[in-house]
Amino acid sequence: MSYTGSAPASSSLYWKGMESSGDPHPPILAGAQNAWDMLSDEQSQKHITTGSGDLNNILGGGIHCKEVTEIGGVPGVGKTQLGIQLAINVQIPVEYGGLGGKAVYIDTEGSFMVERVYQIAEGCISDILEHFPHSHGKSSSGQKQLQPEHFLADIYYFRICSYTEQIAAINYLEKFLGEHKDVRIVIIDSVTFHFRQDFDDLALRTRVLSGLSLKLMKIAKAFNLAVVLLNQVTTKFTEGSFQLTLALGDSWSHSCTNRLILYWNGNDRYAYLDKSPSLPVASAPYAVTGKGVRDAASSNHKRVRVT
Amino acid sequence: MRPPAPRPPAASSSSSYSQCEPRPENPLLLLPSCRAAKLSLGCPLLDRLLSGGLPAASVTEIAGESASGKTQLCLQLALLAPQSPLSASALFLHSDLPFPLHRLRGLAPKSRPDILDHVLVAAAHSPTDLLSLLSRAQRLLANPGRSPHRLPIRLILLDSIATLFRADFDASPADLKRRSALFFQISAKLKELAYRHHCVVVVTNQVVDVVEGDAGNTVAWSSGRRVSPALGIAWANCVNTRLFLTREVDGASGIARRRMKVAFAPHLPERACEFVIRRDGVFGVEPAGEVGAPVLG
Repeated sequence: MSYTGSAPASSSLYWKGMESSGDPHPPILAGAQNAWDMLSDEQSQKHITTGSGDLNNILGGGIHCKEVTEIGGVPGVGKTQLGIQLAINVQIPVEYGGLGGKAVYIDTEGSFMVERVYQIAEGCISDILEHFPHSHGKSSSGQKQLQPEHFLADIYYFRICSYTEQIAAINYLEKFLGEHKDVRIVIIDSVTFHFRQDFDDLALRTRVLSGLSLKLMKIAKAFNLAVVLLNQVTTKFTEGSFQLTLALGDSWSHSCTNRLILYWNGNDRYAYLDKSPSLPVASAPYAVTGKGVRDAASSNHKRVRVT
Repeated sequence: MRPPAPRPPAASSSSSYSQCEPRPENPLLLLPSCRAAKLSLGCPLLDRLLSGGLPAASVTEIAGESASGKTQLCLQLALLAPQSPLSASALFLHSDLPFPLHRLRGLAPKSRPDILDHVLVAAAHSPTDLLSLLSRAQRLLANPGRSPHRLPIRLILLDSIATLFRADFDASPADLKRRSALFFQISAKLKELAYRHHCVVVVTNQVVDVVEGDAGNTVAWSSGRRVSPALGIAWANCVNTRLFLTREVDGASGIARRRMKVAFAPHLPERACEFVIRRDGVFGVEPAGEVGAPVLG
């Protein structure tokens, strides 16, 4: 039910090919594209790897450009880790199978720890060199050098301290992205935090949030980039008991194309694809290691966790 | 539905700061200060657990049952701040009365009686009280004055957040909502001060018994009880790093083994370190317990 509103093809109409005469007709809507072109576009698109093959599989290859993906979970499950990982992975150079793009990271909570970003960049580089063993030391001109410092410098980091600043930053994004066309991912960590304070007028909150989400969807399409929104989990009182649910309420839940929920299963981290226009609902284990987000290791990998 | 103008009327939270076009920062340039501006706990083992100490510009929670060493750690940090490379005053906000002045004096080095000049103490009796204290602190941080004897405030301690919410709130959905709105307001203010003035912020929290399930919150065993930090998952969303102090009493010898665990942190793996509370402070001890595989939260 909620899927239809956000399906990417729903707004495009095109006469070509639907007419028996075969005459080329102009598109009936300016800027419209036919479904065939869209499909081949999509198939040629590269996705941003999460660092975990299992996670990529349930996401259909990774995080998709032109789409808004929401990632939710309890504190400590790894939302920020995944956010930082994506900001690094989007920069994997094209010759190593990546997008070679830059990242915008909008930090509303203060969990973007630069020393950790550096570690994750180092982990990403060591994995690249492992997969491409012949490229050691190779750095031809024009090719991005595989140095953690370069990965750090190619993240545009915005620290946001109030919801007014958050709104201003998102409004400013369009201009910023127009000037920085190499940005391929925008991460907001978290979209929630400043909207859970004293917002007396809940109708206003809903309006502001749906305005933000429309803007972000538009940006994702217009600049061919991925938008990733991290969301918190809250307890909701329904039918006499408290249950865990994503924050910001029901109307917000329509505002993304894909939704991934991160959760604990015993001592293991799992991700659950809760909403997607094209992929089946599925879940997969993943791990957060010193190098960043990776596949969950087999059973002999023992971890200690607060239990 | 149109989004409203970028500045809704109730822009109270950051009105004292100019609102110009947002400017991105370069993480590479933040790296040196991020590494250097950590507040040491005064013990190499505990510092190793925390990769150098408590980070600035973020909020660290220390949770634990009563007598687990939370207040002791705060006092220790307050005294270390002026002597550390941060060279800073500490602002000690306390809601547990009375302020443990004698313990502070006991911990202060005899050779440096002036250290106590750099610990500012204020009592907060309610959440609104705390918010008004924080606004006043904000003015103080923004205009530190020129006195050479007064070190700038770079450490804010709040002991404890749970005490502030002990009264005045029912378990009704409406009260829980009002309560969590206050958590987010307090946390946003603390984080803003931490970021704009590069402060280390430490908040202590009590624990509650977990009866069934964990509702997504951190759970640990301490003194034979299954406990979670107080204030539920709403507050858990408000801190960047959570440290959990636990205690296990060995049945035969009656000796308590205390541990400091990293429950979650954006920059640290989940791991733990054993510690002792001595007359002169809190110190890590070898063996440092089992050190987990590098898993981050």
